[in-house]
Amino acid sequence: MTRDDITRNLLAIFAKQFEIENPGMDEDLREAYEFDSIDAIELLREIELMLGDPLTRDEKESAMTIRTFGQIVDYVEGLAKTRAQLGDAR
Amino acid sequence: MSGSAVFARLARGPRFLVDLGATLLVWGYFTLGFLAVFSPFYLITALMPGRTAIRHQYLNHIFYQGFFALCRILMPRQRWEIDSKARNIRASVVVCNHISYMDPLLLIALFRRHTTLVKARLFRIPVFGQMLRLAGYIPASSDADMAGLMLERLETLCAELKKGANLVVFPEGTRSRDGHMGPFNTGAFKIARRCRRPIQILLIQNTRNLFMPGRFLFNTWPENTISIQWVGEIMPAYDAPDFSVSRLAHAVREKMMAAQDGLLQEESAEQI
Repeated sequence: MTRDDITRNLLAIFAKQFEIENPGMDEDLREAYEFDSIDAIELLREIELMLGDPLTRDEKESAMTIRTFGQIVDYVEGLAKTRAQLGDAR
Repeated sequence: MSGSAVFARLARGPRFLVDLGATLLVWGYFTLGFLAVFSPFYLITALMPGRTAIRHQYLNHIFYQGFFALCRILMPRQRWEIDSKARNIRASVVVCNHISYMDPLLLIALFRRHTTLVKARLFRIPVFGQMLRLAGYIPASSDADMAGLMLERLETLCAELKKGANLVVFPEGTRSRDGHMGPFNTGAFKIARRCRRPIQILLIQNTRNLFMPGRFLFNTWPENTISIQWVGEIMPAYDAPDFSVSRLAHAVREKMMAAQDGLLQEESAEQI
């Protein structure tokens, strides 16, 4: 999954699930859109579906302090890379 | 000085003493009563394995029922009207206006199985924070030190609600200082959507007359009717393509405000 794929998928999730259209990469989602921790938990579930793999508790906890859309893209890209590396190692 | 003004000045002395006496006895219940009577039960249930949260919620429920029983005895000029429909709510997200520190206590006294969103800073208070954790309450913030707890709570919340517990939320997020309803946060409605639960709308009236913001003493002297009114239930079509959390929050606020206006009109009509 490329960074562009991840960005496109996340934008679709934001529009459908959180009624947020095209957030800026560096916008503070909490301040600009009242994106709160309950939304974050919903988003984590969507990310699990996107990756086709459950997230660990540590991975989830590390996501709870993320504030911008750009950071979410980085986070998902990191998760996807880790899973790809684990897949290659197997 | 008119006769009524003189009478009002003379009455202030006894009124102050009555308010002071009632306040001290109520605070005595909170502190000494808790330590002497309730704390052993809290301690025992904390040490028992399994279902700790449910037992602590029940203890909180009993403790605050005791508190309001004491209020009824010590404050005979206060009337209490609790809608039976409110009493019978189960397995729902309960949203309510917030006008006094007494409101959450009233709702805990009302619902045996309950949980609620609590400001994260309260979880950091020694002993009290531990009691909030033991009762299974949810920190209303995902600050780094609360993220794990919040995740844990929200992951099990839907199952708890399905089994009959109520999630009690004050969507204004904080007490109204002037009695006017503030804007709603959408957190409660997002949880309702996540758990596919109905929204029950309650309206609390006149608790702020008894325990006024910024005043230490209970204001027991004036006649006052504290009420919890069941305003209605909304079971949204969560899966409908046009469902919107913000529209749901708006609709609930409108209903609550209409009920509040209705009550206020009734009161002014009675005064006329």
